[in-house]
Amino acid sequence: MSLLKHVAEQIKELRKHYNSGEGISQEALARQLNVAPNTISRWETGIYRPSLEDLENLSRFFGVSIIAFFPEEIAEATNDDLLALLRTAKKLAPEDLEELRKYAEFRHARSIYKGKSRPRPGRKATKHK
Amino acid sequence: MNYDYYDLKVLARRVRAENGLTSPRVLQTDLRQIYFRYGIEIDYWPYKFKYLRGAFICDDLGTTVMLAQNLPHDPMVFTMAHELKHFLTDRHLRASYCDQSNISKAVEVGAEIFAAEFLFPDQFFVEYMQRMRVKRNQCNAQTIIRLKQETRTTLSYAGLAIKAERLRYAAAGSLTRLKGWRKLEKVYNKAPAVGVFTA
Repeated sequence: MSLLKHVAEQIKELRKHYNSGEGISQEALARQLNVAPNTISRWETGIYRPSLEDLENLSRFFGVSIIAFFPEEIAEATNDDLLALLRTAKKLAPEDLEELRKYAEFRHARSIYKGKSRPRPGRKATKHK
Repeated sequence: MNYDYYDLKVLARRVRAENGLTSPRVLQTDLRQIYFRYGIEIDYWPYKFKYLRGAFICDDLGTTVMLAQNLPHDPMVFTMAHELKHFLTDRHLRASYCDQSNISKAVEVGAEIFAAEFLFPDQFFVEYMQRMRVKRNQCNAQTIIRLKQETRTTLSYAGLAIKAERLRYAAAGSLTRLKGWRKLEKVYNKAPAVGVFTA
């Protein structure tokens, strides 16, 4: 399964299981994230590739790590920077430590997600015969 | 290499010179250009921190400085200069962060000294004091306010106050104990100017 497909499925899963399984509609989620109503559908079908910032917003909305959108075998790769940073950060205010952890995860996610551009909205994909 | 505080000041002045910085007004754009030259990636983190201003990470994912996006311009510039020191001398540590809880650690004190010298070298400070005809132990809040306004330096009032005391232009504690510089600024701006200043 491609990375984009995996991300798309994770978004759908999280949306469906949101709020103890009650779920949230695509439209309601779009409103929460301040994106166009059809964007969620396009993320879930892999037509649009959510940006890292979109994934960060989604992760905050669902209360999960941004790493949760990626396949375990990739995401579990040693994240030395995070460990090193957190080792030095024991005296930080708890909320700052938490935010710093999210940043380190975002940076790790970026290294996984790098190199693919986001399709431009409204532009049809070219079919190759 | 181990850097003492003197070495860090020399390093700060060298980096200034190498990057064509000639005044005490160092802008965010200046530091962004320096970061670009050194290949340091900047992440402006849009989410709120309580105290954290920035963090430096150097690992197999690259060299990155994270900056709290909501910092005002001058504290942002100071934090960027502070993190630049970590890039120049502390890469072996792989990561460091900048807030109030670790400010007494030697490596962080060094970064503060580097940043203060980088933004406003001591030599400039002495020269400006001489131009303003301010002698040792005569520098007061009004002098500092004039200095900041006329040089348009991006070093904060607190940073200038520390410098004035350390260089013995003000008695120890006479300026660093002061709070509310912005309020003082308004008060002194209404008062007649003291001393002669020509930049």
